[in-house]
Amino acid sequence: MADEDETKEYRWESGYEKTWEAIKEDDDGLLESNVADLVARAKRKRAALKATGAIQLGMMRHLFVVVDASACMFLQDLKPTRFLCVLKLLEVFVHEFFDLNPISQLGILTTKMKRCEQITVLAGNQKTHIEALQQLKDFSCEGEPSLQNSLERAMNGLKNMPAHSSREILVLFGSLTTCDPGDVQKTIKALKDNNIRVSIIGLAAEVRICREIAKKTGGTYNVLIDDHHLKELILSQVQPPAVAGSIEASLVKMGFPGGTPNVNDGTCDSSADHAPAYCLCHIDSETSSLMGPNGYNCPQCGSRYCELPVECKQCGLTLVSAPHLARSYHHLFPIKPFMERSRVPDTAHCFACAKLFVEAETNVYECENCHQIVCLDCDLFIRETLHTCPGCASDPVTAQMKTN
Amino acid sequence: MKLNVDGLLVYFPYDYIYPEQFSYMLELKRALDAKGHCLLEMPSGTGKTTTLLSLIVAYMKAHPLDLTKLVYCSRTVPELEKVMEELRKLMNYYEKEMGMEQNILGLALSSRKNLCIHPSVSKEREGKVVDGRCYSLTASFVRARHAADDAVPICEFYEGFDAHGKEFPLPPGVYNLDDLKEYGQTKRWCPYFLARHTITHANIVVYSYHYLLDPKIAEVVSKEISKSSVVVFDEAHNIDNVCIDSMSVKITKRLLDKCSNSITILETTISKMKENDSKRLEKEYKRLVEGLRDATIARETDMALVNPVLPSEILEEAVPGTIRTAEHFVAFLKRVVEYIKTRLRVQHVVQESPAGFLRDIHTKVCIDRKPLRFTAERLASLIRTLEISDLTDFSPLVTVSHFATLVSTYTKGFTIIIEPFEDRAPTVSNPILYFSCLDSSIAIKPVFNRFQTVVITSGTLSPLDMYPKILDFHPVIMTSFTMTLARQCILPMIVSKGNDQVAMSSRYETREDTAVIRNYGNLLVEIAAAVPDGIVCFFTSYLYLETIVSSWYDQGIIDQLQRHKLLFIETQDAAETSLALINYIKACDNGRGAVLLSVARGKVSEGIDFDHHLGRAVLMFGIPYVYTQSRILRARLEYLRDQFQIRENDFLTFDAMRHAAQCLGRCMRGKTDYGIMVLADKRFSRADKRSKLPKWIQEHLKDTNCNLSTEECVQICKRWLRQMAQPFSREDQLGISLLTLEQLQSEEMQKKIQQRAQGV
Repeated sequence: MADEDETKEYRWESGYEKTWEAIKEDDDGLLESNVADLVARAKRKRAALKATGAIQLGMMRHLFVVVDASACMFLQDLKPTRFLCVLKLLEVFVHEFFDLNPISQLGILTTKMKRCEQITVLAGNQKTHIEALQQLKDFSCEGEPSLQNSLERAMNGLKNMPAHSSREILVLFGSLTTCDPGDVQKTIKALKDNNIRVSIIGLAAEVRICREIAKKTGGTYNVLIDDHHLKELILSQVQPPAVAGSIEASLVKMGFPGGTPNVNDGTCDSSADHAPAYCLCHIDSETSSLMGPNGYNCPQCGSRYCELPVECKQCGLTLVSAPHLARSYHHLFPIKPFMERSRVPDTAHCFACAKLFVEAETNVYECENCHQIVCLDCDLFIRETLHTCPGCASDPVTAQMKTN
Repeated sequence: MKLNVDGLLVYFPYDYIYPEQFSYMLELKRALDAKGHCLLEMPSGTGKTTTLLSLIVAYMKAHPLDLTKLVYCSRTVPELEKVMEELRKLMNYYEKEMGMEQNILGLALSSRKNLCIHPSVSKEREGKVVDGRCYSLTASFVRARHAADDAVPICEFYEGFDAHGKEFPLPPGVYNLDDLKEYGQTKRWCPYFLARHTITHANIVVYSYHYLLDPKIAEVVSKEISKSSVVVFDEAHNIDNVCIDSMSVKITKRLLDKCSNSITILETTISKMKENDSKRLEKEYKRLVEGLRDATIARETDMALVNPVLPSEILEEAVPGTIRTAEHFVAFLKRVVEYIKTRLRVQHVVQESPAGFLRDIHTKVCIDRKPLRFTAERLASLIRTLEISDLTDFSPLVTVSHFATLVSTYTKGFTIIIEPFEDRAPTVSNPILYFSCLDSSIAIKPVFNRFQTVVITSGTLSPLDMYPKILDFHPVIMTSFTMTLARQCILPMIVSKGNDQVAMSSRYETREDTAVIRNYGNLLVEIAAAVPDGIVCFFTSYLYLETIVSSWYDQGIIDQLQRHKLLFIETQDAAETSLALINYIKACDNGRGAVLLSVARGKVSEGIDFDHHLGRAVLMFGIPYVYTQSRILRARLEYLRDQFQIRENDFLTFDAMRHAAQCLGRCMRGKTDYGIMVLADKRFSRADKRSKLPKWIQEHLKDTNCNLSTEECVQICKRWLRQMAQPFSREDQLGISLLTLEQLQSEEMQKKIQQRAQGV
């Protein structure tokens, strides 16, 4: 669903919408202003942010994604099938997830035939996950899912993760039934004890046990309306959740591996660093080959990795690069939502994109700090992608203040 | 919040109120003002109980002379407890607002089984056994014997109550069954007799229907309730059946055999007593000469045997000479029992009127009507005199004596049917004599006559105009309220055909048709695949359920079903059914999902709520017509036609639709709840059936959803379930289906409420 035009379903496939009912004539009997208003409102709604105060966010996330692969995932109420639709959206999700949470790790599980299978282990490498997801497409969906087995499996994987990281499970659940070997209440209790948050997205209807699990573990439970809504729901999981108060803040030891030999600074002067070596990420797979001099070496034990961020397999050190940390930073200081204002005639164009304001656009948005005016599209772009206000950043005074 | 209901200040113990609750109060107040009876229908889950209580309590406070007592009748013990909880909330609110203790006494009354605190008696499980053992410890002669001989056991709690409890009334407050027991424990008083004693001066009494409708019990328990009381029958949609059941008697062969045994016991006891203590029998004889009323001096503990309603002038009369001495009476009883035995020895069905029966018994065994009338009273007196403390064995004989009294008292509105075998098993001889009441107004008439206001209310009373006819009373108010909803949380649909376009119906002609059965099966399988958690299905009868399930098994539908959900079936065995229910709830709770197959008119359809996930969908397979070949029903229909001008078909449809509505209502227990209601029968879409559904269901039954095929139905379900699963908070309801005080007082809302009241 990354490309909306391509996946737009046929009219006869989609639900019955009474689009005409939403449109009303204005005083002059015109529709135009109203339509623009509707569009703007829809966009704005999408970007409506929860007011984030100074809460602690779990930036180091360990997340297991459980994908239902039971017989009901072959239903075609999502196109082409539920399963394929979900996998495709998950690819987007994995990408976005690592983009926004670079120092986090993710693993994928599926459940079918009353069992749970591990597709990828917890790892910080998005490529392996995406590849695994692509391979899943040929997978057959059969039997009933087991919520309990998947949760237990994920819990075993998460249990030993460090206490300062947030542990999460995201379940994409298409079935309306679960076939469990034991008492699921015990599992819920264990999840709670281990501080694991379970969020569930239902693909068909509200299932009581899902709501209960989500509620008791502090996660969210949502049911989709259509595929666009599903995308929204999945992507809403990208934002790191607020941490439950019990987790203590602690210092995390991290390694910043030296760069490639092209960047020959003082940190990686020893010649051993550049000798060809097996990369530890791929050492188990058959396709592993001797790496060239490119790669990252763990500053503690010297193991070589082809990608960052990763947890060192030898010594357990979290290896990141500085830009990763910087990217996680904006979660802590989200920019304040811009204020909606009616357009005043003297500002003729948007500060960010320099587009001239047209008549139809009645509302513009103002930054609280720098009082620059931007248009609706820029407002959304700043909020969703840029995470920094161009007005504040370009003004040397406010920029200085912010970093202080 | 404090409300102004048509000039009356009502304390309402919640911060929010539903608009229909306010309308309900308005109507109820009008009925109270008019001192007349009323009939109110409001959907379940809209807070009927609390509305009723808060208005009536407010009315009692405002007009203490006009309205002195509230008698609230409910059906089951859990419902009783619910009412008490609401009352407690209301009283706490009053206390908080007024800042002082309230001078109102409310209590619940139930059988001895639920109230006994005697260490060994309370361990008994069967109600009858508890009653019997209690009697054997508290009867006056037992206590007299105890006074002479300490070895005779008595109940210390009753003694405690008898010694002190009567002088010290219960302090004001709200007492449910557990509170009464606790109070009894601390004071060492018997809670049961304490409660019965307190009824006379309590302001609010909550108990079961039978304490008021069953003449055998009402005579004892509810005799002294004053006229200026308001009586509420909650969940009263079956009130006519309760009335009829309380006046009907069923006699089987086995029961008669047991009677013969009891008679022999009586004989031996009498002969023994003659030898030892013949004075006592003489004394009884003299008493009987003087008249019965004196014989039944209110010795309350001897209540185990009481007569059905007898015109009181008969009680004043002396007992006829033929049955005055004990031996004569026992011989008389013997003759009656033997006569009934011969009557049961028939080869074909006999139906006759009470008058015919009396003539026959006179010609055959020379028994007159008059002594027959006194049978019940005379037997009670005899058992008292003989000081038989174990009453449980005598219940068959008591049943026969009731029958004898009833048959000789009422000549109109009753019929006698003797069936040599059951219709289902014509080869097995199992003769049964039914003495059946045909007129539900007989039992309830004293209630309507005695009390100034009787409120009949339920979630499903439609069509309303039938009740005044069959209960023979004139309501001043008759209203049906709908539910205001912020979202459409019920989805009624009529599914009339399968995917193969074969019409679905439980009509007699097509019910064996495999195509119909298969279509029903497919409907259930597809719904089970689309609906989460619990699904409840209702069939028209146990027989139909069994045949359908067995052919589903052959067609492989059961297998398909079990892929989605577990399957549970209600049976006629109560223990089996409750086990199935427990497991059904378990399966719904832990996400496996379950389907419960049950029967309209069964235990599940009447008393059990399937709120939220326990009942996301209700399927009604066929129209639950009562078994029309039954002779009792035929007789009743005839009677209704002759006496009340109700056409047979009207009554049958009315009866079927109220049961259907009752089944459908199982899944809706509040405004945050939601549920699908599928009516799977072609005939439901006809106007005469549809229009008899309660208004709150009809309102949501769109014309487009009245003639669906299985597939269309499933598509609608899926879309609707997704919408319902979206977050729904209190804020969404506020102002539409939930009002704060300000919103209620706003002019716009007042106008709407006025309109609602007029519209119905």
